[in-house]
Amino acid sequence: MASEVVVETRNLSKVYRDFWGRQKVRALKALDLEIRQGEIFGLLGPNGSGKTTTIKLLLGLLFPTSGQALVFGRDATDVKKNERLGYLPEESYLYRFLNAEETLDFYGRLFDMPAAVRKKRTNELIDLVGLNWAKRRQLKEYSKGMARRIGLAQALINDPELILLDEPTSGLDPIGTREMKDLILRLKSQGKTVLMSSHLLADVQDVCDRIAILHQGELKELGRVDTLLKVRGETEIRAAGLSELAQSEIRSVIERHNGTVMSMDNPTTTLEELFLAIVRDSEARPGRRAKQDS
Amino acid sequence: MVLDSDPVVFINWLRPALFFFLQAAAVLGLVALVGGFLLAAFRYGPALGGDATYRMLKTALSDLVSLSPRRIGALARLAVQESLRRRVLVGFGVFLLILLFAGWFLDTKSYDPATLYLSFVLTATTYLVLLMALFLSAFSLPADIKNKTIYTIVTKPVRPGEIVLGRILGFSLIGTVLLAVMGLFSYFFVVRVLNHTHEVDIASLKSTPGDTEGGRSGRTTLAQNHRHQVTLDADGNGSTDIAQGHWHEVDKHVEGDKTTYVLGPPQDLLTARVPAYGKLRFKDRAGRGVDKGINVGNEWKYRSFVEGGTLATAIWTFEDITPERYPEGLPVEMTIRVFRSYKGEIEQGIRGVIVLKNPTNGRTSELKTFTAKDFSTDHMKIGRKLSDKDGNPIDLFDQLAPSGELELWLQCIDENQYFGVAQADVYLRARNASFGMNFVKSYLGIWVQMLLVTSFGVMFSTFLSGAVAMMATLASLVLGFFTKFVFEVAQGTVQGGGPLESFIRIVKQQNVTLQMEPGLSTDVVKGADAVFMFFMQSVTSLLPDFRQFSTVDYVAHGFDIPADVVGVQFISGLGYMAAVFAIGYLFLRTREVAR
Amino acid sequence: MNQRARFIRKIVYVCIIAALLLPLSWLSQPETSESKGGLLAQMRKDNQLSQANLGEIDPASETIKLATLGMRGVAANILWEKANYYKKVEDWASYSAALEQITKLQPNFVSVWIFQGWNLSYNISVEFDDYRDRYYWVIKGIDFLKEGTKYNTNEPRLMSDIGWTIAQKIGRADEHVQFRRLFREDDDFNGSRPLAQRDNWLVGREWLTAAEQVVDKGVALKGESPLLFHTHPAMCLINYCEALEEEGTFGEVAKNAWKKAADAWTELANRDLPTVYNFTIRLNEKEFFQQRSEQAQAELNRLTPPGSREKIAAEKLAALSEKEREAHDTPAEQLTAEQRTIRYEVDQKLAVGHLELADRVTGEDHAEALKAAEEASQADFIANAIESERGIVNFDYWLLRCQVEPNDDTLAARKLIYDGDKAFLSVQLPQAKANYAQGFDRWRQVLDTHPKLLEDPNLTDELVDSITHYQGVLHQLDETFPQPFLLQDVVDKDAIFHGPRLGPLSAKPTDAEKPVAEPAKPAVETPK
Repeated sequence: MASEVVVETRNLSKVYRDFWGRQKVRALKALDLEIRQGEIFGLLGPNGSGKTTTIKLLLGLLFPTSGQALVFGRDATDVKKNERLGYLPEESYLYRFLNAEETLDFYGRLFDMPAAVRKKRTNELIDLVGLNWAKRRQLKEYSKGMARRIGLAQALINDPELILLDEPTSGLDPIGTREMKDLILRLKSQGKTVLMSSHLLADVQDVCDRIAILHQGELKELGRVDTLLKVRGETEIRAAGLSELAQSEIRSVIERHNGTVMSMDNPTTTLEELFLAIVRDSEARPGRRAKQDS
Repeated sequence: MVLDSDPVVFINWLRPALFFFLQAAAVLGLVALVGGFLLAAFRYGPALGGDATYRMLKTALSDLVSLSPRRIGALARLAVQESLRRRVLVGFGVFLLILLFAGWFLDTKSYDPATLYLSFVLTATTYLVLLMALFLSAFSLPADIKNKTIYTIVTKPVRPGEIVLGRILGFSLIGTVLLAVMGLFSYFFVVRVLNHTHEVDIASLKSTPGDTEGGRSGRTTLAQNHRHQVTLDADGNGSTDIAQGHWHEVDKHVEGDKTTYVLGPPQDLLTARVPAYGKLRFKDRAGRGVDKGINVGNEWKYRSFVEGGTLATAIWTFEDITPERYPEGLPVEMTIRVFRSYKGEIEQGIRGVIVLKNPTNGRTSELKTFTAKDFSTDHMKIGRKLSDKDGNPIDLFDQLAPSGELELWLQCIDENQYFGVAQADVYLRARNASFGMNFVKSYLGIWVQMLLVTSFGVMFSTFLSGAVAMMATLASLVLGFFTKFVFEVAQGTVQGGGPLESFIRIVKQQNVTLQMEPGLSTDVVKGADAVFMFFMQSVTSLLPDFRQFSTVDYVAHGFDIPADVVGVQFISGLGYMAAVFAIGYLFLRTREVAR
Repeated sequence: MNQRARFIRKIVYVCIIAALLLPLSWLSQPETSESKGGLLAQMRKDNQLSQANLGEIDPASETIKLATLGMRGVAANILWEKANYYKKVEDWASYSAALEQITKLQPNFVSVWIFQGWNLSYNISVEFDDYRDRYYWVIKGIDFLKEGTKYNTNEPRLMSDIGWTIAQKIGRADEHVQFRRLFREDDDFNGSRPLAQRDNWLVGREWLTAAEQVVDKGVALKGESPLLFHTHPAMCLINYCEALEEEGTFGEVAKNAWKKAADAWTELANRDLPTVYNFTIRLNEKEFFQQRSEQAQAELNRLTPPGSREKIAAEKLAALSEKEREAHDTPAEQLTAEQRTIRYEVDQKLAVGHLELADRVTGEDHAEALKAAEEASQADFIANAIESERGIVNFDYWLLRCQVEPNDDTLAARKLIYDGDKAFLSVQLPQAKANYAQGFDRWRQVLDTHPKLLEDPNLTDELVDSITHYQGVLHQLDETFPQPFLLQDVVDKDAIFHGPRLGPLSAKPTDAEKPVAEPAKPAVETPK
């Protein structure tokens, strides 16, 4: 593809050590990734698979044991990359004694934004996440969903080009989840690159262009969601309220059309199966790695 | 006031201090660089390690350049808000409580209440503010790291230096405001408590013995656990004697046929004398120059004694004796310790003489006798017009101190009786500074200490967990307060030996003056102590000597804090803060904030 | 599962806490009208560590104790070190402030009050050169002790120390003339006490008798000899009399004072005093027991066959070893050091005891003799015990003084000598001569009536001082010193006590003894 590479990891590995320097966990093993501008990239994997470690490495919160993490072509530990980047942590780690406005103003200052700009951005973002009614309340009074939203707002304060979302829908109710997904899609439509991690397959499937499946620190699958989920030679039809006559009619129709009619599959089930297959496979034959597709 | 060493002169101090600072900075920087490189080389190999070290240096420089006031401001503001949320005001409440109940614990019948009250409020404020600075600074960053709120900070374009600096500034700001309010309260507390007046006890007034002009003397009523003797002239005006470190003026008021005497507010109680100290040398009983006088058997070697009725003399050399500086003559103040080798006349004090002398041509003024009263300050005004020992008129400035240099010779007259003096015991009271300003200056000293503790706390919290950072800061503070002691233990001048030895002595209940039994175990103990104390000494010599920042003694004893002292405090405080900031930056830069 | 475990753990903790609290609550049960309270309450009471009622609780002390969070022992130690340091660097204000804090922390530690009160009155005061400053610190020490009695009511040691310091420090210091004057003028210490009663000896005695009363009520007197403790108040009165005379008060005032002192001394003599043996004695019962012993001995002698005593002595002498006999036979001045020890033992051996004598009685009288012997021994023992106690307080001497001093003769003699000294010091020589001459006459009479007074070195010292002055006066008046001198026995006695001080009585006095001494001239060299 011609578009610019925004995030790149080369042979990225992370080993957690204990106090005495002994190896404790190999959290990430030789990850190679490329995320391009404008795409929504999903990191998928069960708990402890290395998703969050990858994001922390990309943010410079952790230092790689070996390999490299590059963001906008800079080393991930370089502070300057942060100016074009937004990050929503797994849970909203914000100062609970500030209110929404103060929070956004504070993070605005950290971007060295002038007062007028901060004011404008703050108001826009509070509107965007729909917290106008609660903007004067301290965050400690916020529900989990509200905290997620203000967390998202702070991630967007600098109008970033790259947004890293760690489990963006965790703790949200179905409506909240839907809104979050819509928002992610809207960001994409504004030309932003989104990297999100999740262990909820539905989220990933709904919004991601490409996904990487991690398990035990290893990359298991990598590719476009539609490609990954395409199961060849199988069709499922499900319908309700059809009479015998209608059913035979449909059958005849399918025959007439050489078997290319309504193909309704259940993506969730399929991704879940794919995922489970990978996990089973990985446990059976540890070390098998996905091939990078392009 | 006790001054153990010559007063510091800022200009003379600055150059060696700066040199030492640069030296230490260079050595520490080099150690950090080499250490960092070795660590990186061990982890990534020499080439990559070298590269990492180089990049580290480069980013450090660029980070330093790109420090943003707005970001630092935001972080400082956050620190302030956090402090307020963490009930820092409780500390202030404690302070108010202490002040409220201070009267309970302080000796109201004290010999010298001003000193007692002033040192009490200043010390209490110091401890409280330092303790607060300790708690605030050490727990903040570790808490952020633990709650992971730091994630949303470091993923913004915030430099580690800004995080460190922002916190130092924020907590210092809180500390400053608290300190200012505490200072204000302390000031009014002390002034309110010490201010008092008496009435003249009319019944006690009798004509002064030996006064033919009709002067009268008597005593005042009891107030604040003391009274004064009053001496009035024929007109009924006069003054009281000095009791509890102060005196009052007495004015006569006549209303109709009623006569009342009104005492003014306490004088010299809350003052800031500006002393001009001289350089002290001695002559022994045969008139030979010596460094010190006689020790009359005191354990405390601060003062040394001159023998009465001999040639033994204490000589101060003063500088800058000019009519411009002393337009009304020389106001000499002396605190002289008296030692009697026999009782003599009990009601008669020991007498001494003072002579002024031109150090170049040796011309002297006539003898001026006085009676010494120890543990109190004698005031003596020496006018400009004097006469020499033959009775010829002589000018103080033109003939005795033409170059501005003047010697003051002090001798004891009474045979076999002794005068004890130290350099700071005789001085010229050049002028009086404002007590309020002096109080503020003393608080500036506390302020610098607060800044240092805050900086140390934040620095330690960049790589230690909250409780450990607090302990480390506390340890630095304690070591900083006991610098002298640590050095003495390390050099073996303190009885009882190092920590291990003294522990053994405590367990065995062995007297400190007793030698340890020679043998292998003693050698081992002493060896371990020596190694440990070498380490302690090295650490301590890197830490600030906190007592250097305490000017409680000056204020408490009514002496102006010299600008030189304030200057030294500021510059050395700044030096330490710069170093501590650099260390804090380095640690935060090279650590992973996530887990 | 996990939650269940946590719950169980909490229950266990609560149980352990309760189990620990139970004995504690039992131990610290407060005292009520029905029960004596727990062990802690009893110990507190026994050691007088608690304030008897709420009004006595000092909030300052309690807060400062609480503020140290149970570390008050450590805090008091640190403060003690600090106090020592302040004393070393002569920072008296901080020193006394530290003392204040220590005693707030541990107000029931009586030794601290006593030690530091002494420190202030005796050790700090002398650091000051001006006697007025010295007096200030003596009073400060007394006030400190008084403060201590607020926390430790009915503590005889503290009260006795207050009395002692007021009486002895003010009355005996080198500066006692000045101190006593300042004490009389001290409105702040004496309050409303009338001027006539403002005598340190009398005020000190008030505290000492108050302490006595507390002890009489049954409070234990720890760490002080009962004998000395009860002697102090009476001695105060004697010292008061001496002080009066030293300051020139004679006549009725002195007479009455001496009589009072004599009464006090008699009262002391009649007081039951505990001894180190398990019985109490009265100082005036020595004669009684001596008499009883004599009666018993007479009875014993009556019962024993004549010559028994000599017989026993002879037997004992015969039983001596060669060495012992040699020591016994050698004249005292030729004994070697070793022999002297043996001689002492031999003398002990040769003494014939009452019981030994009783053993010689045979037949029916044996039991009776034994009884008499036992009674005599016991009476001897008690009489000796009383004698030794009397010796400690110089009982006989003071008794004699109390008897002699109120006499008109003695008072007149003392007044004359006092006037003579005064005239001598103000160089009124004829007046001095007359006073002295009459005074010596009077003393002759007194001494003839009470020859025992000659055994008093203080008296001979005083008199010989005056005799020296008298000698000087006569010399100045170009008269000769009378020979033989009227009080030659005093001079001789004094020479034994103090060595010869008087020149040959006939010789003219040397210049050094001229009355007007010139003050030493200042020897200051002006700087060159």
